[in-house]
Order: sequence, then C-alpha cells, then structure tokens
Amino acid sequence: MNRDAAFRERPAGIVEVAPEAWHRRTRRDFLVFGASALGVFAVGRAWRREGWLANKTLRFDDDVAEALYSPSRLVPTYTKSQITSLKNNYNGATPGPGYIPAWRLTLDGLSSGLAVSLDVHTLLTHHQIHDQITRTVCVEGWSAIAWWAGLKFNDLLQSYPPVSEAKWARLESSVNLDSYGNPDPYFVSVDLPTARHPQTLLATHFNGQPLTVEHGAPLRLVVPVKLGLKNIKAITRITYMKDEPKDYWAERGYSRYDGI
Amino acid sequence: MPHSTQLRKERTATCTPASSPRVRVARKHHLLVRITHWLNIPLLLGLIVSGISIYWASPVYRHNPDPQTGSSDYLADVGLWICAHLPGGHDCASRPDWIYNHISLGPSTLAPALRLHWCCTYLFMLNGLAYLAGILWSGEWRALLPRLSDARGALKMAAYYAGTPLAILRREPRKPPRQTTKYNPLQRLAYFSIPVAGVLSVLTGWAIHKPMQLSWLAAIFGGFDSARVWHFWLMWIFVLFVIPHVILVFADGWDTLRSMITGWSRRVESGGQANES
Repeated sequence: MNRDAAFRERPAGIVEVAPEAWHRRTRRDFLVFGASALGVFAVGRAWRREGWLANKTLRFDDDVAEALYSPSRLVPTYTKSQITSLKNNYNGATPGPGYIPAWRLTLDGLSSGLAVSLDVHTLLTHHQIHDQITRTVCVEGWSAIAWWAGLKFNDLLQSYPPVSEAKWARLESSVNLDSYGNPDPYFVSVDLPTARHPQTLLATHFNGQPLTVEHGAPLRLVVPVKLGLKNIKAITRITYMKDEPKDYWAERGYSRYDGI
Repeated sequence: MPHSTQLRKERTATCTPASSPRVRVARKHHLLVRITHWLNIPLLLGLIVSGISIYWASPVYRHNPDPQTGSSDYLADVGLWICAHLPGGHDCASRPDWIYNHISLGPSTLAPALRLHWCCTYLFMLNGLAYLAGILWSGEWRALLPRLSDARGALKMAAYYAGTPLAILRREPRKPPRQTTKYNPLQRLAYFSIPVAGVLSVLTGWAIHKPMQLSWLAAIFGGFDSARVWHFWLMWIFVLFVIPHVILVFADGWDTLRSMITGWSRRVESGGQANES
C-alpha cells in the first residue's frame, strides 16, 4: 500500500496570488527566457565563426577516448565465416607496385641513436607472425571484418626500443598521391600505449594472401582500437618522438587521437 | 517548495485592495524541467542536422546507382522526389543532394559535422541529467509514469485529437475525455517515451562512437552496424514527436505554452489534481 502511494501522482501546489504579482512574475520569466534564447542563438552563431569551441570539443572527446582506452582490453575477434569485403577507401590515387621490390622500413628516434633500415624479409624472419580477424571501423560510418597477419607492433618496439622519453610514433606512407596523382604525403600519429596494444599489428597479409597495393603492400598498420584512417598503408618510416607528431586527418579538422 | 513561498511573499508584499480578486495558480513545471525542455530545441536541431551530414558520408540505406540520377542513396532519392514535386523545384541545384543541402550542414562536411555532433552530444547528456534531477527533485516524475489503463485512454485521446479538426469545421461542440490527472494518458505515454528514446540515442551513440572499448554496449544493440541503424531510427522518433507536440501545444492554448516558461498554470480546476486526493 505504502509503495503504491510513493508512485501515485500528488496534487499540484495551488497558490492564490495578487494579479499584479502574477503578471510581474510572468513578464520577468518571459524576459529572462527570451534573453537566454538570444544568448543560445549567439553561441550557435559563434560556433560557425570561431573555431575554439569546436577545437575544445575535439580535445575533450579525445581525452574521453584516451580515458576509456585500456592496454589490456582486447577488441572482439571474429571467425573466418564472418569476414566481409573491405574496400580500398584511400582518398587519393594508389601508386603502381613498382616501389615494392626496393621497399624498406626506416626506424628513427631509437634509444641506440641510430636510424635502422629494414626489408620485409628481415622483419618477418625475426618476429613471430600473428593472425587476427578484427573489425575495421571507418570515420565515415561503415565497418568491415578482415583477416590480417603480421608482427605485433609491440614486438618491433621490443627489438628496436625507442628513446626512453618517446610517447608517440609518427608513421609515414609511400601511398602519397592525391586523386590527380600529385604528391600528397600521408602520415599519422599513434600514441605508444596504442602501438603496444597486443592487437596492434604491422600486417603483411590480408585474408591469407600477401598484401596487395590497394591494401598497403608490403607493410601496413592494423590498429583496431583506432578509426580506419589511422591504419596507414605501405609504411616507409616510423619515427618515435616525445611530442605529438602531426596527423594528416587532424590537420583536416578530424580528431587526432581517434580511439574507438 | 521555494518557488511557491516566494510567490506567497510577493503576494503579501503587494499592497492590493482587499476587494481585488486573487489569481489561483498551480505549480506545473520545475525550473530545471523548463530550462532543459527549451535547451532540447537547439541541441536536437544541432544533433539532427550534423547527424544527417554524418549519415551522408556512408548512408545505411543504399541501392545500386540509378543510371539516370547517379544516386545510390535512398535518402538522396527522397530529395530528388521533393525537387520533382516542389512547386518551382524542377531546377533545384545539385538535385540528388537536396536533403543534405537543406536539412543538414551540407554534403562533404563530415569533419565539422562530427565536431558539432559531439559538442551537442555532451551538452545533450548534461541536459538529460539536469532534466532527471528536475523531475526527481520536484516529484513531477510521478505524473509521467504510464499506468496500466493508459493503453485504452491513449487510444481514446488519439481518437479525440484526430476527430477535432473535422468537428471544428462542422462547428460541432466537442469535449475532451474527462481527465483527473496532470497529463492525459497519451501525454504520459509520449512524455515518458521521449526521455527513454533520449537514453537509447545516447547509448546507441556511444556504441557507435566507441565500438571497441564499449564493445559490450555495441553488442547489446546487435553490433556496430546495427547500432547505427538503431541510432538512425531513434532520431525519427524525436522528429515524429515534435510535429504533433508543437501542433497540440498551440491548439491547447496559451496557458500550456506559458507554463513551460513561468512554471505555473492557471488551469487549477481543469487539471483536477486538487480533486484527486
């Protein structure tokens, strides 16, 4: 009975008031609400003119994403029957395969103080190869499940340790043409905690086959805890650094952390 | 009730002749409910226009490209249809993008749309929490709870609303179903469902935004791709609510609109809450 009463609608509080007081109050409330509405409208206009609120939003949302990230939390994995097709969504022209035979990966910002240049064969023979079937999520809203194989980024960090104060990796690509075939360097920033995630791969194989040029031959980043745009293709250079490097899409108004 | 004591003070402070008739007013909406109610307009508008821009980047509902129009997006097809049927719309600029040009930030605006969407999202969540605080603090939540008998009552009310325009045309007098509560059954259903839809929008939004760290949340809605579909259709619930909501508020009269600004209603008797106890 008592519980029913707790949920039952209560009678409204009724007050008798002098008409003048009632009108004064009503007028005051309308003025306050009207002024507030103008204020909100002004904020809406300022949003378009000034970038600071938009930038604050991006920063705040990135901080939230970083707080949500856990180095031990694994992303869901799938079975081979759940694999879907993955389109080549690069916004520029994909170069011909001519660069592949002479391809080398350069590592810079190492604790040894020297730059290292590696070919695919060395990378593959000195590191364990892992398979994983994970979902790639694009900032545009589509997603695809693909089967990748390659070495763990963390293993490369173990064999070629970066300088101790390094917090970031800058990755550069040889897929660097715009849609007219003109140079358009592609580069991304990846924080080292994400690079050390057990499911962050430097992949050499896609769906059981060596990577094709469309999918970033001969070595690409597969980082399922980030948006697809961080999964840089045909990596030519990894530079470890203390300060946050530039990021191709962050320069174009997207977030820089991109953790999902 | 600090609100009413203040009014009482003003009443006693005002030197009115004893003969002047008093106005009887009933407390209706808590200040937080009123503020959050109106803030929903810019926030939902921002969320919807940016959301449609985000949808443009990868439409959920697609078909093979139409050889005539080049469109492969059903939503763009709706724009084509509107252009074809709108008076003077035959020469719409960039016809397939009519929808995106008119009810979004525009095509190819993914980055600014995402920024606006997130800004509005965080404010929308804060707004929702403030609303919840308002209805809990004031006890107004009790008037919003649907009751078991509401299914029939809501149908009756819907039938009344549907028949009203014709009755006005025929100049027939028409009385609404008797009501002894703050809201009628249809209102209770609507005002209870909309916050639920708000919560679901936020949850599906986070499922899309962080499908890896919150993969359990995405899984509740059937995974990333289907959480997007949920999120898309939840938007339509707000759109479909707002249309009759605005029509009915104007049809119902000045007191209803005013009470959402001042918090007080002069319909002391018709609400009938006083009779209920």
